[in-house]
Amino acid sequence: MDTTVYVPIPDEGTAARPTVTPAVRARALTKTYGRGEAQVRALDGVDVDFAAGRFTAIMGPSGSGKSTLMHLLAGLDSATSGQAFIGSTEVTGLNDKALTALRRTRVGFVFQQFNLLPMFSAEQNITLPVELAGGTVDKQWLGTLVDTLGLSKRLTHRPSELSGGQQQRVAIARALIAQPDVVFADEPTGNLDSRSGAEVLSFLRRSVRELGRTIIMVTHDPAAAAYADRVVLIADGKIAGDITDPTPESALAGLDALRTVASR
Amino acid sequence: MIRLTLSQMRRSAGRLAAAGLAIVIGTAFVAITLLAGNVITRTTYDSIAAQFTGADLVVRGIPADDAVLDAVRGADGVATADPQLMSYQQLEAGSRTIFQGVLAEPTDTSVLPLEVADGTLPEASGEIALPTDVAERLGAAPGDSVTLVRNVLEGDQESDEDAWTEVREQLTVSGTLTDPYGAYSMQGGAAVAPAADVAGWEDDLRAPGEEAVEPTTMLVTLDDAADVEAARTSITGALTNAAAAAGAGTTDLKVVTPEEHAESVANEMTGGDNVIFTTFVLVFAAVALLVAALVIANTFQVLVAQRTRTLALLRCVGADKGQLRRSVLFEAAVLGLLSSAAGLAAGVGLGQAALAIGRGMDLGVPLPATVTVTPAVVLIPLVVGTLVTLVAALSPARAATRVAPLEALRPADAPSAARGAGRVRLVLSLLVSVIGFALLGGGVAVSTVGEEPSMGLMVAVAGGVLSFVGVLVGAVFWLPRVVALAGRLVGMSGPTATLAAANTLRNPRRTAATSTALLIGVTLVGMMSTGAASARVTMDAELDGRYPVDVTVSTDLSSDPTAVAAGEGSVPAVPGTLADTVRDVAGVATVVESPATAAQVAGDGLDEGLALTVRAVDPEDAASVLRSTEMVTPLAAGTAVVPEELSEVWGITDGQALTLTGPDGTLEVTAAVTDLRDSGLLVMPDDLTALAADAPVTSLWVGLDDPSDAASVVPTIQDAVADTEAPADVMGAAVERAGFQQVIDTALGIVVGLLAAAVVIALIGVANTLSLSVIERRRESATLRAIGLSKGQLRGMLAVEGLLIAVVGAVLGVLLGLVYGWSGAAAALGWAGTPVIVVPWRDVLLMLLVAAVAGLVASVAPARTAVRTSPVEALASE
Repeated sequence: MDTTVYVPIPDEGTAARPTVTPAVRARALTKTYGRGEAQVRALDGVDVDFAAGRFTAIMGPSGSGKSTLMHLLAGLDSATSGQAFIGSTEVTGLNDKALTALRRTRVGFVFQQFNLLPMFSAEQNITLPVELAGGTVDKQWLGTLVDTLGLSKRLTHRPSELSGGQQQRVAIARALIAQPDVVFADEPTGNLDSRSGAEVLSFLRRSVRELGRTIIMVTHDPAAAAYADRVVLIADGKIAGDITDPTPESALAGLDALRTVASR
Repeated sequence: MIRLTLSQMRRSAGRLAAAGLAIVIGTAFVAITLLAGNVITRTTYDSIAAQFTGADLVVRGIPADDAVLDAVRGADGVATADPQLMSYQQLEAGSRTIFQGVLAEPTDTSVLPLEVADGTLPEASGEIALPTDVAERLGAAPGDSVTLVRNVLEGDQESDEDAWTEVREQLTVSGTLTDPYGAYSMQGGAAVAPAADVAGWEDDLRAPGEEAVEPTTMLVTLDDAADVEAARTSITGALTNAAAAAGAGTTDLKVVTPEEHAESVANEMTGGDNVIFTTFVLVFAAVALLVAALVIANTFQVLVAQRTRTLALLRCVGADKGQLRRSVLFEAAVLGLLSSAAGLAAGVGLGQAALAIGRGMDLGVPLPATVTVTPAVVLIPLVVGTLVTLVAALSPARAATRVAPLEALRPADAPSAARGAGRVRLVLSLLVSVIGFALLGGGVAVSTVGEEPSMGLMVAVAGGVLSFVGVLVGAVFWLPRVVALAGRLVGMSGPTATLAAANTLRNPRRTAATSTALLIGVTLVGMMSTGAASARVTMDAELDGRYPVDVTVSTDLSSDPTAVAAGEGSVPAVPGTLADTVRDVAGVATVVESPATAAQVAGDGLDEGLALTVRAVDPEDAASVLRSTEMVTPLAAGTAVVPEELSEVWGITDGQALTLTGPDGTLEVTAAVTDLRDSGLLVMPDDLTALAADAPVTSLWVGLDDPSDAASVVPTIQDAVADTEAPADVMGAAVERAGFQQVIDTALGIVVGLLAAAVVIALIGVANTLSLSVIERRRESATLRAIGLSKGQLRGMLAVEGLLIAVVGAVLGVLLGLVYGWSGAAAALGWAGTPVIVVPWRDVLLMLLVAAVAGLVASVAPARTAVRTSPVEALASE
């Protein structure tokens, strides 16, 4: 278990922060579907590092392989070849039991559809991962999360009594409750209106900057990607670009460049 | 629309198949019931047809006296004609006694459906051919002799006490017979003796001068060249003339072929019994189908809920409500028809298999080789199965019409069925339950306190049915609450259980319906086993009083106390070794030796010269062997226990002073009348010594380890006693007692077996509900896996869900079953003494165990589907 004490880091821009060891790595990561003529290379020998304590966006057009990359990094799907690491653990070599253990303590997920359990209150949803792992909830950390995400007045509510933005904030709290090494977010604003989406993205950024978490977010929305510290562009299953400190404009330009390449 | 419905059915094939299984079992049950009825009819027909297999024509409905026989024999084309006569006689060989039906040997022995295994048919008077098994039991081979013990009536039995004389005759066994067609299997086989002998034995049973009662069935064989129809006309004509001459009517006269005869007799015989049997079993088939209907309704409810989006879309593009309703009903009709057809096939297959096994087991009754599939067997299950499915789909179809077109535009979310139900239903179910339980209680009171058992039972049954309906209708209100409570209890054991408990409450209506399906079966099984257990204990108390001694071996029953007391003859003693012999029989627990003498009994108002057997037993010894010691409690020095029966016959009253005079002395005693069943008075051993110094042991009181084994132990005792050749009678009260218990147990076994079908269907319902939940919660399962739920925990969660639904249904069913069983036993057995309330723990635990195991097993297949769900699916955007 990570025992680091998280001190909120003042927002000084990424350049001023020390370089850290990668939290997540991919080496020659390849995933193919089908066989022979019908074979599709969803991911084609990807090498990429994701720094700890950073908010990284993976961006690319539909079918580019961005979701596949995330599934493989998180150990949700098996790679055809190559390796994926979380910290020093090789995810690609683990069995289901070890993967379950990994998901309990070192990885968190935020889904496009929120995926909260409808029969449980917000608080029960947040603490569920710890309870499933048979651990005890760190009350102080729960308090910090709830305060940061602005959920203190909503803890007893059921998901059906919460707005989309609130539900996604509950989902973020659930992803962070076990203090995982990395949180994967898959289109977390895909089901939200732009205002709620902006709110959720701000919370994700605060989680990184103030709580020192590592977040990898998959999105196709340049405006969302602009909240990240870094954007990794992916097209046709390959890394196609890297933007540091993106703005909506630079992210959109990067995406447009990919489309031009793809359409040629 | 039809094409759309069919393609939707294909998409939900798995779910429909699971629901269809419920109907398959229900209809198979119905089909088997009908087939069984047919087999019974068929077996009866075959057996009767076999009896007449060699005859060309059968004449019935006219007494076969000599005039009639002559008329038939004189008809054109008739070769032989003989009355079908069977006489039941007692045969003995060594110490074995058998009652056997003996057939009069016909002129043409080819009419006999029996085959000679060894020796010949009887050829002269005094000969007899025995069935092989009877010959074996009597230890008689051809050439040996057996004793015929028969009674001859020589005077008027009303006025003359000695009108009956016992005659013992030696018969020579001419041969042994087999019954290959089972013609007489229902009469316990048939021996054959010359016609004149058999007629003579029958004649001797009638007083001299009494008119003979001739058999009314004649077997006729024809000449080889004769035409059956011509002969039939000729015989009818001859008999009509003969009857007219005698001034008798011929309305019942029938001249028929053996086939026609068998058919009409089979119809007469099975018309009544068969209808009762079929109705009885069909009641259980109805319960099974009711449970199946619940399972089907549940499945369709879920299917409609899952298709909400599609249905709304259809409404958007112009489908009207009627079309949606028809679509759901059409789907139900197709499912019902297919499942019923499968059930019918399964039923016929199982029936045929059971028949094949039955034939292999040699049941003594020749079973037909194949089941008889009549139109009724095919049509009834098909129609009933389809109708039940359709009716079950009515409410889901209505739900389908309520889907608003708008729902197509809403974001997809987990479908949720309507929560709860209307107030009307709540009030109605409460009202019906309260009235029902009040009637139930009232019925019990009327039966036990008011001592009107038939009236009370009727009221109680009506109340029971009414209250059960009320409870079932209201299940949707109270069952989820019970599940919630149980869920809270198991939820304390960890997060997996908490998840499971929360899941069962997400759709209270579905959980209620699933649990209810199980509740019905378990309640009925629980009721039956509680009722039977209560009945058994109540009967036991009654039987303990009636049959306090399991088995009595006694030599004094045949001696006449008056003669003995007068010094003429003596009570034969039981041989000294007999007690040990009996004690050595496996299953015998205790043997108490009881000496006896005959004594003259004098007292106020008693007949002069009254003599009775006086028996002695040590109270402690008696307690060791008696099932109920109440009747010997007054036994003490100076007291004689007088059996109630003797007191009534001889006018001895309780507390009366009696003077007993035995061979060696006189004794003053006080009479204590109890409901002891014995043939003599009972005194203390020392008192008996005063009457007769060396009274011999004349009876053994035998206690068995387990009185329910009596049926096997008592014959062993009988054989052991017979082998010693002591002149002792063995009276096995325990046999009768075991007989009573066996009746209860057998009835219970059959009923529970029949109800088991309903329980099995309900358990399929549990599995079905879980599978549907798993399919619905695909994304959720994936999410849980993604946030750290292990495969084992996922399986565990579903296991707990299955367990909760099944166990709650079973526990409530058991409780209801106890209430109904006790009430039923109290109402039905109030007359047989205070009903004893019993919890059949073994059955209760067994039912709960079955429910728990089934709940777990039901979760296995759904769990396998669930763990196959990859966590990736939680990320899928639709």
